[in-house]
Amino acid sequence: MFVAFSGALVVLIAGSTGVWVVWAVLATLTAALVVDLARAPSPRAVTFERDGDTSVRLGEPATLTLTVSNPAHRTLRGLVRDAWAPSAGAQPTTHTVSIPGGERRRITTRLIPRRRGDLPARGVTVRSVGPLGLAARQCTHDVPWTVRALPPFHSRRHLPGKLARLRELDGQHSALVRGQGSEFDSLREYVPGDDVRSIDWRATARSDTVVVRTWRPERDRRILLVLDTGRTSAGRVGDTPRLDHAMDAALLLAALAVKAGDRVDLLAYDRRVRAQVRSHGRGSTVPAIVQAMAPLEPELVESDSAGLVSTVLGGHSRSRQLVVLLTDLNATAMEEGLLPMLPALTARHLLLVAAVGDPRVTEMAAERGDARSVYRAAAAERTLSDRHRITTELRRYGAEVVDADPEHIAPALADAYIALKAQGRL
Amino acid sequence: MSATTPAPTRTGPGGPSPVTPGLGDLWRRARGPLAFLGGLVLLAVMLSLGAERTNEGVLDPEGPNPEGTRALAEILRERGSDVTVARGTEEALVAAGSGTVTIVAHSHRLLPEELDQLAGSPGDLVLIQPTTQALDRLAPGVHVVDRAEAPGATLSPDCDLPAARTAGEADTGGELYATDGETEAVSCYPSGDGVSIVQVPRDGGVTTVLGTGAPLTNEHLAGQGNAALALNLVGERDAVWFLPDVPTHAERATLWDLLPSALLMALVPFGAGLLLLALWRGRRVGPLVTERLPVVVRSFETTEGRARLYAARRARDRAATALRSGVIERVRPALGLGPEASPESVVTAIAERTGDGPEQLRALLYGDATEEGGDVPDDSALVRLADDLDALEGRLR
Repeated sequence: MFVAFSGALVVLIAGSTGVWVVWAVLATLTAALVVDLARAPSPRAVTFERDGDTSVRLGEPATLTLTVSNPAHRTLRGLVRDAWAPSAGAQPTTHTVSIPGGERRRITTRLIPRRRGDLPARGVTVRSVGPLGLAARQCTHDVPWTVRALPPFHSRRHLPGKLARLRELDGQHSALVRGQGSEFDSLREYVPGDDVRSIDWRATARSDTVVVRTWRPERDRRILLVLDTGRTSAGRVGDTPRLDHAMDAALLLAALAVKAGDRVDLLAYDRRVRAQVRSHGRGSTVPAIVQAMAPLEPELVESDSAGLVSTVLGGHSRSRQLVVLLTDLNATAMEEGLLPMLPALTARHLLLVAAVGDPRVTEMAAERGDARSVYRAAAAERTLSDRHRITTELRRYGAEVVDADPEHIAPALADAYIALKAQGRL
Repeated sequence: MSATTPAPTRTGPGGPSPVTPGLGDLWRRARGPLAFLGGLVLLAVMLSLGAERTNEGVLDPEGPNPEGTRALAEILRERGSDVTVARGTEEALVAAGSGTVTIVAHSHRLLPEELDQLAGSPGDLVLIQPTTQALDRLAPGVHVVDRAEAPGATLSPDCDLPAARTAGEADTGGELYATDGETEAVSCYPSGDGVSIVQVPRDGGVTTVLGTGAPLTNEHLAGQGNAALALNLVGERDAVWFLPDVPTHAERATLWDLLPSALLMALVPFGAGLLLLALWRGRRVGPLVTERLPVVVRSFETTEGRARLYAARRARDRAATALRSGVIERVRPALGLGPEASPESVVTAIAERTGDGPEQLRALLYGDATEEGGDVPDDSALVRLADDLDALEGRLR
């Protein structure tokens, strides 16, 4: 740049000798530009190779390397920009490089995604500056790569505690009751305190001590997690959409259930199936569920409850299963959509409805002071009592309901699952 | 950090590939539009070659517009007169001779010196609606007395001027003149106190003053005796049509003239430098990246909306009902009552617990139906109700 402006200085000093000085300076400048452009190595011939992370939990950094090879003879000096969507949080955005002819350099970009979902790479731009630094050539290359930002699974800190409770349940519960969802576990010696009704007389006759039968919660039960991705899932509780809270709770439940030996399926539905994961045989489906959840976005349509129920009923599992529906207890949407469909669903399966309540509404209900605050409190009371009414209605149909604020929804859902298991209702 | 799962798509089918168009691509892409533009320019040039540039001024002898006088100039030329169009005083003075008629329009554009020069020129003068200054210098003794009531009115000659007499009636209504007695003047087309045409002698010829240029214009030339009058005034002689341009001020030294030329010249490379700087700073490293943004809807927005509706419509009855049913729902389980409990049983249960009067409790929890206009007459009553309900709930806890 200094060179370009020094021309003005030259003319200022030598200008009195004639107009030719202007032309001479302009010609020199043009010649310098042309030579510089010609001497800059072609950015078009540069080749790339990518490597690095392909998926990352939201909030954690992903590291991506880009190997830039300069096939030309001259040194490539200039800028390389690895472009990503703004929410990918790519740092640094541009790299200053100097690659000698025939060599390659590796540049590293760190992504800290701010939004869940697939983040495609949006092209690599190379700016090759000439030796004089006056002119530069530039070319954008499409170097495909996708980083998937997975749900953050904040609730995994609750997992060890809930697993401990589950194990406790496995041991202590075994001797007591047998219910619909429990199976024969083992025979053991009678210890004082055991229920005499659980003594297995036939086994006792064969051995020289009194033997009791133990029961344990049945394993290999099927659990279907249903995410409602309709318009009510777009509403933000705190700073996060309802759908993301639901995912967090669903992931904790899935991790817990898989550990407990149950099989977990996933269905995301609004007016059509958005995502579906089916467990086949053994092996954990949690990673597959995480991957399936990652690109889900709330759709701004009213959920089709009839379609949802028929999809659940027409699913490949015809046997009884626990259907965990993660939705919102929105009075109008529920009364017109899900409630009329409930008998068909609860006749075949056990339904557990989980919803995230907004703590702001509870805060609003406690507002007092002037008329405005009381009106707000009244509106909040109305919302709460609508929720309450829907909850009562759902329970009347035999569905379990978990309604908690974002902090507590995941552990509350896990507790509900453990309680169902303890009661042998699964 | 990274998950243990199979990766989503790694690389596309094509692998890395440049997406910025090269020079060849650019040329291929641009040549169609460029050819179209070129064709358009060529067409425009060819069309403009056939067109004639015309002047469109008032009383312009080259103007085909209604106010122009090209028709008259052409007729004069056909009759063998040489019509010279002069747009500057120098030009007019050179063309004027003893045997010519100089027709002066727009005399307000002439400076006093130019009028003096014109006064000294040989030949006859025809002044069309001259200024007072022009009258003083070119037609001494003539002055403006009035304006015709209807401009362009048809008047009859009533005089001995052969040109006017033979022409007969003409649309000469315009400025009206009078002469002082000492001058030998011929006055024609009288109207009111003055006349429209005055002819006075001058050194080297005669000056004819016309109160209006209307009879000479293309629009009116064919009417009445207008054409005859105009042609008679010129006669067989050569004509100089003097149509001065708007005078320009004499050159004055501007700031630019005072600056050294080297400074001015240095502006050119400075501008080039600025251009390069703008290109350097303005060039984006690669194209903009777009992204679909999610909607931001707060989930309690509907609740807030309802609150504003309540407040806007002063829906005190609905607000009070919501607050009351909220309290009843919360205290009912503690009282051992089901959702279908009747108001009576709720009131009785609470009265037993708190010792309040049942009537008072019923009014608080279910409203007083006997009162006129609802039991919450204004906003302060609603606030009071909310506080009372809070107090009751506190005592039951």
